[in-house]
Amino acid sequence: MSSEDMNDDSGGEPLKLTLYVAGQTPKSVNAIRNLERISAEHMGNRYKIEVVDLKANPQLAREHNIVAIPTLVRSLPVPIQKIIGDLSDTEKVLVHLQLTPPQ
Amino acid sequence: MASIGPDNMADIVELRRRLEEAEATLRAIRDGEVDALVVKGGDSDRVFSLGDGDASYRAFMEAMDLGAAALDADRSLLYANAALCDVFGLSAATLLSRGLLDALDPGSAAQIGSLIDKASSCRQSAQLTVLCGDDRRHLIVSVSPLPLAFSQGYAITFTDITERVLAQAAEQSERVGRAIMASANEPVIVCDANGVVTHATGAIAELSAGPAVGRRFSEAFPLHFQIDSGIIDAEDMVTVALGGQSMRGIEARLDRGDSGTRALFVSAAPLRLDGGSISGCVMTMVDMTERKAIEERHHFLMGELNHRVKNTLTMVSAISSRTLASSISLSDFKERFPRRIEALAATHDLLVKAEWGNLSLQELIVAETAPYLPARSDRVTYPELDIRLPSRVAIPLGLVIHELVTNAVKHGALSNAQGVIAIGAQRHPEFLEISWIESGGPTVSQPERSGFGQTLIARSLGNGPNAGAVVEFRPDGVICRMRIASGDLR
Repeated sequence: MSSEDMNDDSGGEPLKLTLYVAGQTPKSVNAIRNLERISAEHMGNRYKIEVVDLKANPQLAREHNIVAIPTLVRSLPVPIQKIIGDLSDTEKVLVHLQLTPPQ
Repeated sequence: MASIGPDNMADIVELRRRLEEAEATLRAIRDGEVDALVVKGGDSDRVFSLGDGDASYRAFMEAMDLGAAALDADRSLLYANAALCDVFGLSAATLLSRGLLDALDPGSAAQIGSLIDKASSCRQSAQLTVLCGDDRRHLIVSVSPLPLAFSQGYAITFTDITERVLAQAAEQSERVGRAIMASANEPVIVCDANGVVTHATGAIAELSAGPAVGRRFSEAFPLHFQIDSGIIDAEDMVTVALGGQSMRGIEARLDRGDSGTRALFVSAAPLRLDGGSISGCVMTMVDMTERKAIEERHHFLMGELNHRVKNTLTMVSAISSRTLASSISLSDFKERFPRRIEALAATHDLLVKAEWGNLSLQELIVAETAPYLPARSDRVTYPELDIRLPSRVAIPLGLVIHELVTNAVKHGALSNAQGVIAIGAQRHPEFLEISWIESGGPTVSQPERSGFGQTLIARSLGNGPNAGAVVEFRPDGVICRMRIASGDLR
């Protein structure tokens, strides 16, 4: 399973994110929900998110050399960044994605 | 000394990045931030869940209404869900520290242990009564073999059916109660806390005018109590019973209008459902009317017997002294006295059979002539009139007839083979006249002296124009006319 969400109606370098999950495991479900929340609150309107279900397509793990699930990969802007876990620590996510946390 | 070129620097940066990524992955796994791993195989990769199945299973177990537990091979408690903790009234921590079997009463632990013994190969199930705190819970306990990683354990479920069992028991109790009410021979009435009849046995139909259920007890049964009973009326009795006091065998009277008055023994007790507060009262009534009548009659007869024994002894004494005075010899006395006593006894026998009620004239004649005549003899005839004689008349009249028949046997109509006696009776407004007319016997002559027999005949039935007896010794036969005042016949 995979899904995409792209909004590009604002300026700046776009974010390209890939979230690797494993079916409906609790951590995978939490990671999807947390990413939806963070994207809505902190990413403005210029990002592209792809969700990859490795349970259905395990071979897709090789593209980003995924070992642990869930893992979020920021492929753009370079360099590539990986965040392992269910993304429940919002501040940690924003730091890794190099986004400014809310004041 | 070798220098590090740009390519080598790039390799070092890449290696450092991979190392950091590996460390982050390990840290995430160690901290429980991931629940699946990708494992590379030869041609394909595979995804393995970390604890996902167990978590789902536990979530499922926690969501169940059934109490559930897992034991290892040593019967140590591995897991108990919240429902099981609720059943036993213990926290999960307490249950885990004490162990499942040790948390139960010894009897229940032994029964469940027995189920576990048999459950190594197949599921075992039994209904048990388990002491949980202060309550007894009815549980269906099922034990199944449970494969563990390195051994076999046991999965145990506890289905609490206490409410169902109690409901069944209550239903059964209700059925028994209804059956008792339907089968009881005595009147039993159940009242609610307001004194209104809610249940009644069929036997109350004899005491209540119309249906009693739905009416106040005091209205359905307007009882009257004796002053010394301490109970004022039926309403008071219900109030006392609802107050928690029991009463047994209180005498009461129930007026039923045209149906007469019934004598009752009434008992009352508070009704406590499940041993709790008083929710009503139960009244029982035993109809003592017939027994009271028998007791009263018995009491009356005892008094009457005492009176008659005294009278009889006085009469025996008089007969003895007068017979002795009129006897010409001791042998004469020995002959006359026993017969007069037997005559008296014959009348008494009749009176006892009639329970000291009225005798018929016919019965009296048969009893007094029986010693001298065969049964159904046609030598004595008497009227078919239904003349009833009270005991105060029957006793002296029996003695008079005895004197007449003994005289007839010795000297009169019954002293030969042809003589007959015609007994007649005629009612007059003021008296009843009974005639004794002998004929066909030897010629009769006036006795030379008046003996006790004549005295007894002349005096026993009283004096006056409407009472007494007159004997005529006519040559063709003795005639005696006896009068009994009409007032003495009532």
